[in-house]
Formats: sequence, C-alpha cells, structure tokens
Amino acid sequence: MLSRNFRLQRVGNLEWLQRNYNFAHIAFFIDELTVLDVTRGERNPDAFCDALKALTAGCFVPISAGGGVRSVAQASQLLRSGADKIVVNSPLFDRPGLVRELAQEFGQQCVVGSVDMKRDRAGGYRIITESGTRLVEQEPAGALYWLNEQWVGELYLNSIDRDGTGQGYDLALLDQLPADCSVPVIMAGGVGNGAHLAVGFADSRVDAVATAHLFNFVGDGLQRAREALVNQGARLAVWPALSELAVALNESMATA
Amino acid sequence: METALHGSLSMSGQLLIVDYGMGNLWSVQSALRYLGRDPVVSSDPAQVAAADTLILPGVGSFHKAMDALHAQELTEALAEAVLGRRRKILGICLGMQLLAEKGTEDGECQGLGLIPGSVDRFTREELGLLKVPHIGFNHVSATQQNRLFKGIASPADFYFVHSYRLLAADLPGEPGLCRYGVEFLAAYEHENIFATQFHPEKSQTNGLKLLNNFLAC
Repeated sequence: MLSRNFRLQRVGNLEWLQRNYNFAHIAFFIDELTVLDVTRGERNPDAFCDALKALTAGCFVPISAGGGVRSVAQASQLLRSGADKIVVNSPLFDRPGLVRELAQEFGQQCVVGSVDMKRDRAGGYRIITESGTRLVEQEPAGALYWLNEQWVGELYLNSIDRDGTGQGYDLALLDQLPADCSVPVIMAGGVGNGAHLAVGFADSRVDAVATAHLFNFVGDGLQRAREALVNQGARLAVWPALSELAVALNESMATA
Repeated sequence: METALHGSLSMSGQLLIVDYGMGNLWSVQSALRYLGRDPVVSSDPAQVAAADTLILPGVGSFHKAMDALHAQELTEALAEAVLGRRRKILGICLGMQLLAEKGTEDGECQGLGLIPGSVDRFTREELGLLKVPHIGFNHVSATQQNRLFKGIASPADFYFVHSYRLLAADLPGEPGLCRYGVEFLAAYEHENIFATQFHPEKSQTNGLKLLNNFLAC
C-alpha cells in the first residue's frame, strides 16, 4: 500500500508487489524491513500474518511489523510470523500500559515506537494517530515522554505532510523531540531519490533512513543510493552481491 | 517465490530446527529453504535425538530457555545427537549461549556444556558509554581455519542483538571475534559443535553463505 498524505492508494497484492517491484531483488539492498497493516476498519490479523510470512520468506534482515497491535498475544503472533520487532503507534498515546507490557514481555529492543507528525495551522507540529484521524492534544515534546521510559528501542518518525510526495524528509520533526532523547531515530516520510536518503543521514540526529515510496523499489535506485552513501563514508553494513552468493552456492552444489 | 538454488542438494539425513518455544523459527526455516534444504521443525525429543543435523535457535532469557529444554526433555535428546551420535549442531544467538557451560541471566544455571565458559552480561567497564543490547550490524573476524567463514571476507558484517556474551579465552576450537566495548566470542566451532552469536538468517548474503558452509561441512 502506498500512502499519499495519508490517503491510501491501493497498489496491488503481494504477487503484484513481487512481480512489479522486484522485491526479491530489492530485499538485498536494505538493512531492515518494516511491514505495517494500514487497513482501515476491521483488520484480519491472521491474513496479515500469512502475508507477512510470504513477504519475508526471501528477506534476510531484521523485520519490524505492526499496525493495529492491541495485545501481547497479537504481538506474539507477529513474532511467530517472521517479525523480529513490533511496531506500535496509537497505543503510545492512548494505551501506554500496553507498550510497557510489550517491552517487559519481549524486551525493549523488540518494540519500535512509530510517530506520525504534521504541521498545524500555526506552523508548529502535532502528533496524529488512529490512521490520521486523531490529533494528540499535547505538544510533541511532552507527548513523547515515553522515549525516556525504556519501553521503546527505536523511534520511527514519519512526516504525514511529506509522506508519498517524494519531496524529501521534513527534518524539522527532529526539533520536536525531547532534548535528551537517547532512542535511535529512523527518519521517514518523503524520500523521492537517493539524495534525500543522504540528506537524512547527514543529520547527526538521524540514525537510520527509511523509505516507503514504492517508486524507490524500482530499478537500481536503492542499490545506487546505498553504494553512494557508503562511498561518501556512511558506516553502513556491507555484504556481497546476490550474484556472488549464487555462484558460491552453485559451486558447493557441484561438489556435494 | 524465487530461490537461489534449483533442485536439491545430494546430502542425506534430516535437518532439524529445534523448537522449544523460544526463537524466530520462521526466519531460520526461510533461510534454509532459500538454500534448497527442507528443514523439519520439531520439539519431539525422539526426532531431535535421531536427527542428522541440528539447528538450535533462540531469542530471550538463558534461564527460561534452559528450563524449557529440560521441561520438554530436549537436553537429553540433544546430548544423544551431539555427544552420542556426533551429529553436527549450529547454535544461533541464544542458541549459541545455551551450548555454553553456564549462564548468569535471571540467576545462574547450567547450559548444555558443549562450549567452555560462562555467558554473562556485558559489564559497565567493558561498555563505557555503549548501550545494551548490542544491536545492529558489526564486524566479525575469523581465520582460514574457520569452516563457517569459508569464502567470507574477514572482517565481514553480521547482525547482532544481545545483552549477554561469551568471551574467547582458552577455547579448544576456532573463534570468530567481534568487538563491542570488549572483544567477545561472535562465533565458535570445534569438531561437530558450531555456534554464532549473530543471526546468520538476518545477515543478508554473509549469513546465507555461512549457513551454507555449515550445511556443507
């Protein structure tokens, strides 16, 4: 699903994704994958977990999953379906007790806090939850108190305004965080090309850069962006190309 | 879904992933299937004892895991397969730690005793300003003697997520090393015992190559 300013665009099912966006290939250029159930209305957790298993079967990096997580049992089901970490959003603001429970049950490093922000009329920022339908009253720095509570291992920070636009990150979101935030930040919302990823990476407050824009899954843009970042000195993990692996595997088959 | 290998490898015998209720079995299964194998996932002591090749995954607490292995009669089954029948085993993450003599997470308890040493938390002195858990990709160094690392660069990047570690002192086998405040045991192999503190199934092509090396040796 591609989101554009929080209006969802239906793009197709899993097969469509694999056929048209060559996800099996792209999966080898990312450090981590996040899969969110953005279904409006009644969700089907079993169907989502089946889709998650299928999607992640060829993806050999850490996987975060979420969207509508409302219980420890649901989180457990995701962890059995290929997820290494659970993503929570609305519960951070309306059921923090659940977030604490998830951290206690699975470990703080297993919980990713996802926060969507948008600019308000006055030019400040507000947090928005429940699939973009609910504004959190409190100003962000206060509402994000839980960043210091050891419940969340990472923060996924997304700009609603930039999401799907391809215009680049809104780095001003970082100014809304509490001053002493020690939780690693994954920046999201707005990446249209590799240069946007580099700009995000260059900000010392950003620990990881994310893109959900499927356009970035086409061709070799993501691969080239990764290579450019490494050449610019970014300390990204390095691994051999899939083609090298295939050669090595075929060799070991021949001698088996 | 595409896989890197077509057809099946000619190795015989059952490849078994031990299910004791803790660990991301799906990812390990997926990686092995990608490599053209058809692993069985089992918690049955008889099947474990009779398996040809074993994978012991694990995520969570050492003590809880040992309790689970004992409760499901898997400790004896593993001893039979590994010590009795000398079948090869790969311990991954917590699975590596369980192969050790003992662990101190949630109170000291005995491990499976296949790797000398104790699994202890990274200390404040070791870490300095670094945080626990050690999470993310980090560099692992190994030597020509390491069968797991055949054809893999040294150092190479693998994915870690752990708060407890084994140290590399006085071990009879071949270590793989990583530094996180302190140099700790990132991988180990000795005869039929193999182990990685990192997750090969989460380490892209480096991890897939290592898993294939384990299967092939």
